[in-house]
Parts: sequence; C-alpha cells; structure tokens
Amino acid sequence: MPFTNLTSRMVEAQVMPGRTLFSQRGAMLAYRGQVRFTPSITGGQRGVMGMIGRRVANEATPLMTIEGQGTVMFGHGGHHVQVIDLTGDTLYVEADRLLAFDGSLRQGTMFLGSQGGVMGMVRGQVSGQGLFTTTLEGQGSAAVMAHGGVIELPIQPGRPVHVDPQAYVAHRGDVRNKLSTALGWRDMVGRGSGEAFQLELSGTGTVYVQASEEKL
Amino acid sequence: MLAVDLTGDSVKAKNGAMVAYEGDMTFKKRTGGGEGLRGMVTRRLTGEQMEVMEVKGHGTCYFADRASEINLVSLHGEKLYVEAGNLLCTDAALRTGTSFTGLRGSAQGNGLFTTTVEGTGQAALVSHGAAIVLRVTPQTPLQVDPGAYVAHTGNLKQHFQSGVNFRALIGESGGEAFQIRFEGEGLVYVQPSERNTIGGEI
Amino acid sequence: MNGPVIHDAYTLPVDDNVNPYAFSVELDGQWFLQKGKMVAYYGQIGFQGIGLGRLDRLVAGSFHSPLHAAEWVVAEGKGKMVLADRAFDVNSYDLDDGNLTIRSGNLLAYQPSLALKQSIVPGFLTLIGTGKFVAASNGPVVFMEPPIRVDPQALVGWADCPTPNHHYDHEYLRGVMGGIRAHTGLGGTSGEEHQFEFVGAGTVLLQSTEDLMEEIAVGATGGTGS
Repeated sequence: MPFTNLTSRMVEAQVMPGRTLFSQRGAMLAYRGQVRFTPSITGGQRGVMGMIGRRVANEATPLMTIEGQGTVMFGHGGHHVQVIDLTGDTLYVEADRLLAFDGSLRQGTMFLGSQGGVMGMVRGQVSGQGLFTTTLEGQGSAAVMAHGGVIELPIQPGRPVHVDPQAYVAHRGDVRNKLSTALGWRDMVGRGSGEAFQLELSGTGTVYVQASEEKL
Repeated sequence: MLAVDLTGDSVKAKNGAMVAYEGDMTFKKRTGGGEGLRGMVTRRLTGEQMEVMEVKGHGTCYFADRASEINLVSLHGEKLYVEAGNLLCTDAALRTGTSFTGLRGSAQGNGLFTTTVEGTGQAALVSHGAAIVLRVTPQTPLQVDPGAYVAHTGNLKQHFQSGVNFRALIGESGGEAFQIRFEGEGLVYVQPSERNTIGGEI
Repeated sequence: MNGPVIHDAYTLPVDDNVNPYAFSVELDGQWFLQKGKMVAYYGQIGFQGIGLGRLDRLVAGSFHSPLHAAEWVVAEGKGKMVLADRAFDVNSYDLDDGNLTIRSGNLLAYQPSLALKQSIVPGFLTLIGTGKFVAASNGPVVFMEPPIRVDPQALVGWADCPTPNHHYDHEYLRGVMGGIRAHTGLGGTSGEEHQFEFVGAGTVLLQSTEDLMEEIAVGATGGTGS
C-alpha cells in the first residue's frame, strides 16, 4: 500500500531506494527523511518519444520525481483524494487529476478519439478534457483528485452508466466510452452547460464520479 | 451526492444537477415555481430563477451540486421556505411555489421572493457544509447570519436585527451588520458558511 | 431515511462540535471571537469591538495583537453561539498551561483565560495559558511529530516545539541541471525548494492544502459580495 489516506484530502506515501514516485508539482505538503524532489521534464515518461508524445498530446501537467528514503504527504487545492490500487489493469484518468502515483506504473497517453470516433473528439471539446487522456498500467497505486467526494459505479454488461462529462473522474477495466445524447437530455441545455452530452460507459469495469459538475 | 432510485416515478431537480445515472431515464425541461402557465408568469415577476428538469424512469440517478452537502427534508404537509439556489430536487408530488419574504430576500440579493415547497414527500437541500437544524420556540428566539441561512419550516416570524449589539461586529467593510431574528415555532436550516450576499451591507 | 438531528437552545452541544464544520460554544461570560465566524446564536449576547474602552482591562490581559485588533470582538453574555468558517473543518483545542502557535486566519475564537500574542513568524499567533480555543482547517488537521519539513502553506500551527527554521533544497539549485534550469527556465521548478523545518519535541499541525485557507481582509467576511 504505497498510498494511505490520512484524511479525505491528504495522502501519505513511502519512498525508498528503488521505489520512486511521481507527483504533480507543488503537491507535497510535508515530508520526513532524506527525500529529493526533481522536476520531471519528460512528464514522468522515459525517453524522447515519451516527451514528444506529451507535447503532441498537450497533456503536459508538470510532474516531479520523488526519490530517496522517507515519508511524503500530498494534497492539493483542498480537493478530495481517492486512492486507486491497480493490479495489472489500466486506469484512464486526466493528467491534471493525478496527484501522485507509483513510479512502477507504466504511463501512457491515449487518444480517446480512436475509441469514440468523431464523437470522441466532440467529447474532448465538450468536457474540456482534451482529446488525450493519461493511462496508468501495471501494479501500483495512484492518488486521484476530485472536486467533492467520489463514488465508484460498477459497469456491467447490459448495464451501462451515463455520466456527466464534467463529473467524470476516471475509469478502469474493459470499458467502451462514447458520447451520447439522451432523448430529451438535449432540452436540458441551459446556457451551454455541457450537459447536452453524456458519457456512456459500457462493458465491464468501474467508473469514478465526483460529487460535482465542476472541473478541477 | 444523492442517489435516487426510480421505479417508474419521477423526481424534479435543479437543471444540470445530475452527474450520472443507470437505467432508462427520460428528461423533461420544466420551469420552476407554481404549476403551469400561471406559475411561469409568477416566475417572471418574482425573478426567482430556477430551471427545473423532471426525470422519470427506472434505475438510479445521482445528483450533486458543486460538491455541496445534501440535506434531506421530509415534509408531512407543512411548508418549506428555501432559496431557489439551495433546492436540489424534490419528489415530483411536492408542490413548489414562490412566497414574498420581504426584507431578508432583498438583503441577500435574492429578490423579494423565496421558493416554497409544500406537500408530503422529500426535498433535498444543498448547503455549503452539512446544514445544522436549529429549533425556534417562543422562549428561545434565534439569530442567524443572513449569509448562513438556508431554509426554514414552521410558523416563524423573521425580522432584521441591526441592534447596537451588532455595531461592534461591523468592520470597516461591514459583514455581519445585520442578522435575521426568528421568532415563533419552527426549524431553521443554517449552513456552516456564509455565502455571498449582495446587499449585505445595505 | 432518518431525519436530520434537530438542535435547540438546550440540546446544542456545550463547547463541542455540532458537526465537523460547526462548533457550539456555551457562553457564560466572555469569549474572544473573530468577526464573521458566527453563523447563529441563542440567548442574550452582546458584542464589543476591541479597543472600545469598556473592555480595556480584559484586552490588556488577553489580547496582544494590535495588528489583528480590527478583526476581533468580545462576545459577552449568556447563550449558545454556533461558530463556522466557510465550511472548513472546525475543532477545539485545550491548552493546559501550554502554548500553541497557529496561522492567524485559522483561529476563530478563544477563552479569555488564554493570552494571544503575535508570533515571530509572520501571519501566526501564539496562544499561551490554560483554556480552550476553536480553529478551522482545510480538511481535518493531521498531527505530526518532528523531525519534519512542511510546505509553509500546509502548516496550521505547532505546539511546544521550537519555532521552525527555513529549509532550502540546495541540492536542487546546484549541479548541471540546476544551472540549465536557472538559465533557461527549462524544466521549471518543483515548487518544493522551501520548507519549514521542525526539530525537537512537540507537535506539528498540518492541513491538506496550500491554498483556500487564506486570511480574509479585515472585517470583510465571506458574506459580503461585491
């Protein structure tokens, strides 16, 4: 368990030789021991390809590398922090919601449009999430930020979940996402509230939803 | 976050307050306030703005509003007075309307009218931090900061108090210059925070 | 579904939390109160500005922060007061012949048996003596023991231990990469070059965030929009 919730808005993690962490810059609240914080130019990804991938993807949330031996406490902006443990599966999450994560997780960038086609592109625009989302894969944990508390909704075959793109935090599992316009939902659009579109998630997995329609 | 299970029945909710749902749902836009055309006209005049949608179907709806706390109020025929912005959703069976609130409304910049909810069923209020419910009796009147007031039920008289007492609380730029004093018999919902009040200083 | 707990003038807690964000003080005498932090009250309570004459003796004994005088009042009388601050977490702390230093914006109220002084560290106030005070924090307060280095913004306060030192991450500023960063700005800063360092015996109080808990201007509560 690399991350432990100290409060609903604060997590603690151990670093030691051979176990590094990545975190959003400036998210460290306190630490004990001999710990180094280095800005990570490649955004946590290794190699030039990773760097280019980042640039193109425009998901360049500034990260820092945390190494050494000690305990580090994280929190940011008073946001709620949800710890998500991965056991070999993949987490899809927007980069700017990532508070901190295990260095052991493989980081990637996924073009959501490839999943949802044209609608995927629209989705990016509607939710302001960009067309790219960060993927974390492997064994380890990630601390994800949300505005308000987070609920986990299971996605089962035949029981898709519809989510307001603004309230969407992350998802995992074998899940297809597409942007849909529910019958009548479109009528609800106030001043372009964005709720004309909903994110439909189907397949098998879990979606994390925050108790707010406000982006971070 | 509020989860509402629907089995063919419907719920009225603040527009844009639904964050997720499972199952089959249909959505209908409505104008808040009283029922039908007359309600709409009332709305226009009162300036209380509340865009309402009616959600109907089978499944579970999840409602939330800017990470606010959600407080459930069970009504058994009595009337709930609430600022429109604090009303998240109600059982479709509850009647919503408007009521003249006088000075308090004007001080809050929320117009002279407040939303009323009446009937038997549940209403969900949002507040900044979990609201606390304070009872008012004839022996124990209650003073509340206008910015912390959320809603009330019962037979309460409310009036502004700007007594000498409060002079001391006024800084250079005001703040708690005025308090609402509730007298009578009823319940007042107070949030542990002070929202922006436009006319707080008067 | 259970209804919410209904409180009245008699069942409101005595000097205890109503919920994580609201605190009920039973007043029978005097309390110091930061302006704009009271959301409701029952009973006969008067409020006096500090420096208005009548309370000179009380102020001389318990209030030594001219910088913050305009932000405080003395509540006097008998009744129950509900304190809250922008839905931040609120807690009470008891000092028994002790001292605790706290970020001035986080302190809501304290008993006159405590003396309030300005800390050497800017923006912090020190409470000395025996008594109770009420403070807010962004998220629940986490208690830590030194040695620890803390982001200045996440610091709520500290008790008993020596005043903190500044700690700078020198390693970061040196070396090849440090030079490149300094000259090109490439890579930016980690934002973690400076901390408060606590050593010795005592307790350090942390909150979850760097921002949001900023002090509000004198007398202007969150309640005045304009």
